[in-house]
Amino acid sequence: MSPNVIPAEQPVIADEPATSDAVDIDRPWIVIVWNDPINLMSYVTFVLQKLFGYSNEKATELMLDVHQKGRAVVANGPRERAELDVYRLHDHGLWATMQQDS
Amino acid sequence: MRRRQPSGPVEATPDGLYVLNLGDDERKSFNHFLDELEALLNNKVDDGRLRRLFPTAYHNDATHDAEYQRLMRSELLQSKQTAIDISRRVIASHEALTEGDLLQFMQTINALRLVLGTLLDVAENDEAQEIVNDDDPNSYQIQLYAYLGWFLEWIVDALQEGHN
Repeated sequence: MSPNVIPAEQPVIADEPATSDAVDIDRPWIVIVWNDPINLMSYVTFVLQKLFGYSNEKATELMLDVHQKGRAVVANGPRERAELDVYRLHDHGLWATMQQDS
Repeated sequence: MRRRQPSGPVEATPDGLYVLNLGDDERKSFNHFLDELEALLNNKVDDGRLRRLFPTAYHNDATHDAEYQRLMRSELLQSKQTAIDISRRVIASHEALTEGDLLQFMQTINALRLVLGTLLDVAENDEAQEIVNDDDPNSYQIQLYAYLGWFLEWIVDALQEGHN
């Protein structure tokens, strides 16, 4: 097809979601903070305390997991809650993702 | 934990407020940095320097991540703009700050570091003082990156002290 020819729009039939992509509502979601070379260790500890109410000791332990192991699970729960937690972490500049617990 | 010195740029006061010890030149420089960050954020074209401010949310799930970005990117952008606006007020004021205002300023400083760190391609174990070289065309950005890190440490220290 020539790149200058604009095809007429055709109706699109959406595919059914593949079984492997389906969300299992019974499995909780986990929120993961990943190691990154920019954020300060003290800053990450403080943000974990502020957002999740962790003690300094617990937040430091999680921060060290992030720093030494590359990641740490900092929260879990229903999808909506996990998505809000990820948003709040992103708002503070931390690299966070979410996935269903395996 | 390191004990704060009395001459630091940020100090917690006994009445739960915070004092910013910045000279006029520093305040002017911070305003310039805020202008640059705001301009970058308002650029409609996706800019690679901003990728750490709008990270992926769903690991290995492009469909869900696209939905997250569609719903949350504008929220994140608005939140950063609000933090910049408050930071301008913080820098202009010579009065003691509330914790809420200092937190917004802290997030803006961190956003600046994330942009600079991305621009400089900072890697694990990089120490700014070890890699800075006056002949390096990025020496200004490297020194600024180190300065913002030093400043951020003081803010976090002051906030931790304010909570104790």
